[in-house]
Amino acid sequence: MDRPGRRARSLFALPLAIAALAALSACEGGEADGLPLRLEISHEIAAQPLKPGAEYALPTGEHLSVDRLRYYLSNFRLHAPDGLWSTAAHSDDDARGYFLVDESQATSRVFDIAGFAPGQYDGIEFVIGVDAARNRQGAQNGALDPAQGMFWTWNTGYIFFKLEGHSPESSAKDHRVEYHIGGADLQRTVYLPLGGKPLRLDARLLATVHLQADVGQLFQGASALHLADKPTVMDPASGRVVADRYAAIFRVDHLHHQPRR
Amino acid sequence: MRLRRWRWIALALTLTSGTALIAASAAASVEAALQPVSRWWQSLSTPQLRVPEGWPRPQYDARHNPVTRAGFELGRRLFYDPLLSLDGSIACASCHQQFAAFAHFDHRVSHGLAGANGTRNAPPLFNLAWQSSFMWDGGVTHLELQPLAPLANPVEMGETLPAVIAKLRRDAEYPALFAAAFGSDHIDGQRFLRALAQFLATLISDASHYDRVLAGRESFSAAESRGYATFQQRCAACHAEPLFSDDGYARDGIDNGDAGRALITARIEDRGRMRVPSLRNLGYSAPYMHDGRYDTLDQVLQHYAHGIRDAESLDARLPPAASLRDDEIADLLAFLDTLNDPNFIDDPRYAEPSAR
Ligand code: HEC
Ligand code: HEC
Repeated sequence: MDRPGRRARSLFALPLAIAALAALSACEGGEADGLPLRLEISHEIAAQPLKPGAEYALPTGEHLSVDRLRYYLSNFRLHAPDGLWSTAAHSDDDARGYFLVDESQATSRVFDIAGFAPGQYDGIEFVIGVDAARNRQGAQNGALDPAQGMFWTWNTGYIFFKLEGHSPESSAKDHRVEYHIGGADLQRTVYLPLGGKPLRLDARLLATVHLQADVGQLFQGASALHLADKPTVMDPASGRVVADRYAAIFRVDHLHHQPRR
Repeated sequence: MRLRRWRWIALALTLTSGTALIAASAAASVEAALQPVSRWWQSLSTPQLRVPEGWPRPQYDARHNPVTRAGFELGRRLFYDPLLSLDGSIACASCHQQFAAFAHFDHRVSHGLAGANGTRNAPPLFNLAWQSSFMWDGGVTHLELQPLAPLANPVEMGETLPAVIAKLRRDAEYPALFAAAFGSDHIDGQRFLRALAQFLATLISDASHYDRVLAGRESFSAAESRGYATFQQRCAACHAEPLFSDDGYARDGIDNGDAGRALITARIEDRGRMRVPSLRNLGYSAPYMHDGRYDTLDQVLQHYAHGIRDAESLDARLPPAASLRDDEIADLLAFLDTLNDPNFIDDPRYAEPSAR
């Protein structure tokens, strides 16, 4: 994991629409290590900072307290105003480029993604979950080690997103809420514009993108989940309705740049 | 004159045939005498993921996990070590016994922790590198990830992977064994699973009478030949040679309410479908079927001949098997017997390490 990152930079001169498809297959090796981007994530629920165990009112009128929130983010790419993409470092030998975010581990909510080309960017893309190729590749290490507890043993594959807690409206035992979402095609790609001011990556600056993830968004809007009918989702077949909502929880809060030492 | 010549000829004949006889019996007894030597010689080698003549390419891609002596020996040791279970009482080998072709001898459904019963029969383990999925319902899709299922199952080993890793790290010997196998004494889930996979992937059984007949070194008896013809006609659509499974799923009229493949796919048409098992080594791996309901092969064949209703609706390939005639059963039993591989059962390289 902490080997010096071998560079897998790639730039794509492809229109945005087909770039998403081509990105995984067409990779050209770069020469140096590239630059890291720091990502910082704050968890919220219904627009309030998430405190484990505290109960919040959801947009649906139901209530939820969260004991555990863990999910994978991977396949980061940055979009430049001229339409080019820069892709994070990736290797078949280890789990670089895959991050397990855990609300209870402060260090997991701030991490550096290695391997980007210097330049200015106006958008960030990532996958919630683990891409299908890696999901089929056998025993992995680091963030993807099955010992991380984000792996289904009876139906091979990663759990992409885990939300556990309680709700007075839940009909499950002890009013429990358990969402374990994963399965071959339940990863979701998120693209977020970075706002008016571009993100600058160069050797003298450390750039940070601060994301906010509001789990209350799962319970918002026309396809909102209702804890009274769906307190437990633990298999790939029934996870789709949750997967279809989890992209909505992320938004960019702000960027900042600081000189590097 | 003439008489004398005949005498000479007779004498010469007696002498040559005598020597031939003595030579033949000597060769046989030398072979017998050498058997422990060749056993011992074999026990010194490390099994490899080789591809027997005429077999397809394995599904398991060992390029990222090449089999080494230290890696295989570590996997073997882990397979036999009850340290992997919650209370140190159950090893993989408790339910997968070599003399039973690594099935669970005499158990319909497997017994694990504190005598708890599972719901399914432990399948025999061999030629796993050619399977694209594992378990009766095919829920596990990679050989390296298969051990996670029994490990975490509360009625099997009831342990978690992080706890196993912690026990291995604390152990007096394992760190050195991991270092020998993987270059450093770091122990993680990947290394643990890859070591086990080196053992599992090299459990290859390809030395049955059937294999030698196909290689042109032995021949079938009349009954075996007839049984082979019957097999090809009635069974091979699912139990395809040379692995005796098409690596797919089918319903063959065994129903105990287990949803089988549908548990994984959530599709109605997969209800009750099970992975098509190999027919090799059946002589060792009784009882049969996913719920272990049959103790003898005769009972299995009686099921095919008489127990299957609505074969067509169960699986389009089933009607030939379901119209198996009684006179064909004895021949089929003779043929199935040619698929046993005593070498595999006795191979010292797969035995419990200390018993060596
Ligand atoms: C308590 C008994 C038990 C123990 C202990 C056990 N297994 Fe199994 N094993 C089973 C059963 C039962 C199945 C079939 C399960 C199913 O289909 O749901 C199975 C299936 C398998 C398979 C898949 C075979 C196939 O053809 O699909 C492999 C490989 C395997 N086990 C290896 C192991 C390893 C390695 C260990 C130790 C980490 C182990 N088992 C421990 C009972 C056990
Ligand atoms: C339609 C596909 C199909 C056909 C045709 C078929 N089988 Fe099977 N066979 C299966 C499946 C699936 C199982 C496992 C069923 C279960 O456990 O519920 C099985 C199980 C068996 C078993 C038990 C193996 C074990 O390890 O438990 C034997 C023996 C067997 N079949 C022999 C035969 C013979 C002999 C024929 C031809 C007369 C035949 N089969 C035809 C699909 C088929």
